[in-house]
Amino acid sequence: MTLVRDTVAAFIQDEGHKVDVSVIDESEGVAELLFRTRGQVFSVTTHERNPDFYTLATAYEIPDLARENTNNTETLAIVQGEYPEVHFTMAHDGGLFIAAAQEQPGSPEAFTKAFWDVVNRVRDAGNTAIERIVDRTESKAAADKFINSLTMGER
Amino acid sequence: MNPDDVGDYMLPLEEALDDEGLLFTRDDDDDALRIAFKSEGDRYFIISYRDDPSFVMLGSGWALPAEIDVDDAVDVANEFNVRKKFVKTAVWEDQRDVLFTVELCVSSADEVRPHVGRLLDVLRETAAEFFDDLREDDDDDD
Repeated sequence: MTLVRDTVAAFIQDEGHKVDVSVIDESEGVAELLFRTRGQVFSVTTHERNPDFYTLATAYEIPDLARENTNNTETLAIVQGEYPEVHFTMAHDGGLFIAAAQEQPGSPEAFTKAFWDVVNRVRDAGNTAIERIVDRTESKAAADKFINSLTMGER
Repeated sequence: MNPDDVGDYMLPLEEALDDEGLLFTRDDDDDALRIAFKSEGDRYFIISYRDDPSFVMLGSGWALPAEIDVDDAVDVANEFNVRKKFVKTAVWEDQRDVLFTVELCVSSADEVRPHVGRLLDVLRETAAEFFDDLREDDDDDD
């Protein structure tokens, strides 16, 4: 019987992308498949014991200027509300976040059929989150500048 | 420039595709050097001619769906050719094909390497926008 990870890896390769397959837990049949598209590395987690269950994830680095923001987690929660199927997790002391979608399509074949749609949804959610985080940073910087100018006053 | 002087000038482009995590195949003959590859399942090519190594073309070809009117496709292509950066959109009316290409003049393919990701994005987005526009036209006609 063909392994779930092999079916998914063969699909990604057939779509033109190199795939790196790592078995994370042999006894549980958990594997991670890494591939790159549009400059971004994505991972797919497969489960041999549960061929109905997949996680597709990618990491986004938060730009330096926005790392000290105290409201990044709140921004991620707001964006997550707009993309309910995508889950965000902050990592590396706020230096990056993971955008992940958990899929239960029914079979490896069904998963590959919807594969690029899932990639697109995760990518859209992640890009939106980065835009909002940077936008809030710039808005806050502009507001701080305005407040400072008022505080300094003029004689 | 004599191609023999510069060796395999498509190698930097292969390296760029490699950087992008893409698989590719080479198909060279006496006239041209060709790279074929896919990204997210869509097919692309890069071509350069042995007698004109400073010319490099990246592109993708698509069939026009049966429900699309060729005249509408030509109109959208003309509008894109006026408005779009980099990409040339050409409709082969007899074959009902459309070709999106980026044509560059470079002194070495190395110059293209840092921009391959962006150029692929432009090709991908132009094709998507082209078919979206035509489907909108089609819906408006119904």
